[in-house]
Amino acid sequence: GELYCSLPNPRNVHFESINMKNVLHWSAPDGTGDGVLYKVKYSVYGVGKWIRKSECRNISRTWCDLSSETADYEEQYYASVKAFLHGMCSDWTETARFSPLTETKIDPPMVSISSTEKSISIILTAPEKWKGSPEEESISLAQVYPGLQYNVSILNKKTKKRWWFSVSNTTLVVPWLEPGTVYCVSAQIHVTTPLLHSAFSKEYCIATLKDK
Amino acid sequence: KLFHFGPCRISMSMNEIRAGFAAIKDNIQGRDPIRTVSILSHPHSLHKIKSSEKCCIIHHLFNFYVDKVFKYCTTEDSYVNRKISSIANSFLSIKRNLAPCHNQNMCKCGQESTEKFKQILTNYRGLNVTSAAMKSLGELDILLDWMEKSR
Repeated sequence: GELYCSLPNPRNVHFESINMKNVLHWSAPDGTGDGVLYKVKYSVYGVGKWIRKSECRNISRTWCDLSSETADYEEQYYASVKAFLHGMCSDWTETARFSPLTETKIDPPMVSISSTEKSISIILTAPEKWKGSPEEESISLAQVYPGLQYNVSILNKKTKKRWWFSVSNTTLVVPWLEPGTVYCVSAQIHVTTPLLHSAFSKEYCIATLKDK
Repeated sequence: KLFHFGPCRISMSMNEIRAGFAAIKDNIQGRDPIRTVSILSHPHSLHKIKSSEKCCIIHHLFNFYVDKVFKYCTTEDSYVNRKISSIANSFLSIKRNLAPCHNQNMCKCGQESTEKFKQILTNYRGLNVTSAAMKSLGELDILLDWMEKSR
């Protein structure tokens, strides 16, 4: 049975989610040094059965990967953490209700570019949803978010002139450029609702071919 | 934004509703201690409903939120109350937009959507009115997520 629970609770129990890789994080109870151990449980909202996460039982780290358990992004979840030290324990401390679909952070898109004399072609690829193993089917976040768009910035390195495009499809051809000039491209993912956007990718630079 | 629910098409300011809900989500969901029950998504998810019957369920759901949810969700926090009434007003205008299509009998209610809505009412009546209304409001993102998939 549980011991007398007078240990302070773990603090700031929350999910950190990137591309739907959902990891539970927390901070150690106030005033406790080393030696604190934790156990973790989670539940699907509306189902209510708490399920222990066996790989996160008696752990000393302050995070626990619950991506597999929270992979269905049409559901919402709670998770909870309990701390143990010197025969004492804390109460269970819960997260707020976690909705992977609206709370995940999205990585920038992959950008690949090629050029001709007067144009640049840009191919944009949205990140994939987290998956448990390489054998699993890959799901692009573009499938998860029907309203996913790309904001693309193009900079003429010579004139410092910059253009902005907002596109839904994955290929963008920019015509009427100057031959023999370096252009730098950066792109961001933007989902209109739920309102989500990634950081901008790093810049990818390419020179248009010289006039023949 | 335009949304297609079976034969009916409605334009909606989804961003506004989403932003309003996001501002009060933790506050409202924090008032709902019952983890074991969901009004909208259990035992059967909204996502399982055939697209041809979405119009019927959306019609019922908007009436449900206007008639049985918003009016019972008053809090001691005036900021939260303002956000709730702003969302309620959006729902009222969407309900009005949907009415013509529904009144032209284009919103067929099949067995699946009828059963689903009956389940929602059963879940709702399983709690006292204030708890049921607050829980339903806390599940607005579940409704919005499902509606988004209907664009």
